[in-house]
Amino acid sequence: MTRSEDHQLVARVVSGQDAHAFGELVSRHQSQVRNFLRKLTGDFALADDLAQDAFMHAWDKLQTFSGRGSFIGWMLKIAYTTFLQSRRRSKRYAEILQDVGQSMVDESRHHSMPADEVTDLEKLLAVLDEEERAIMVMSYACGLSHREISDATSMPVGSVKSVIFRAKDKIRTNFDIKDHQYG
Amino acid sequence: MTSKIINMAEIIKDAEDRFLESVFRTDSVADNGFSRMVMRRIRRRLWIKRLAMPIAVVVGAAVAFKPLVGLAAMLAGILQLVPDDMLASASQALPHLSTYILGAMLLAACMLGLRTIEE
Repeated sequence: MTRSEDHQLVARVVSGQDAHAFGELVSRHQSQVRNFLRKLTGDFALADDLAQDAFMHAWDKLQTFSGRGSFIGWMLKIAYTTFLQSRRRSKRYAEILQDVGQSMVDESRHHSMPADEVTDLEKLLAVLDEEERAIMVMSYACGLSHREISDATSMPVGSVKSVIFRAKDKIRTNFDIKDHQYG
Repeated sequence: MTSKIINMAEIIKDAEDRFLESVFRTDSVADNGFSRMVMRRIRRRLWIKRLAMPIAVVVGAAVAFKPLVGLAAMLAGILQLVPDDMLASASQALPHLSTYILGAMLLAACMLGLRTIEE
């Protein structure tokens, strides 16, 4: 799965609206995009819906892909934006529900894993805020460089580094991990 | 001594990064028809885009048909009021008016057809 192959596929889609080439891009990257969103949302079904929406946005905006960075970096930027938009929508929805006096949506519905099946990763992600979670997942699960994360989140590289530093510090503090325990 | 500290810091950092990578690492998600679902949505959108123009033309024509007939009848009524010698001089000025209109209509239809094929 090389970067140049991705760029060739993008060129084929942009030059002739080649749906097959886009299908190839989807099947190459669906795993990373879905994994990223699953870790952000904690809800597999919601993550898959958001991933579908993200690929639809990507289809609409593919001509804006400059080819400067990796396709997956660009794709994760769209996925992250889609996630943030969905969060804003659901926040507004919750506010409307509160206004009309209805009970809030059951929080447990958002998590597809039962409490006894909570993984180390989920425990670890739970101590991070939304931004830290997104950046840590991009860095350690998706293997994006700081530059690519900076492009994806529209943050300066320095800010990305300090978010990672802060997140690591939180993990160390919350789980009482000493440096020598990593080795 | 300083370089030893720097090297040590890098080793610790690497170990920490390796630890985090191992925690964050997950198995790849099986496609299970996901790509097919996305492509189905895209094909549906392409078809909608392709059909939008012809459907808009048909609907527009259906909506505009009655007012156009009324307009044509009104124009015919107005033309009857114009003196015959004035009409004859106008047709001399534009000898093949009907051919021009037909040509323009054919050109428009060809352009629409080509655009649909292109998409």
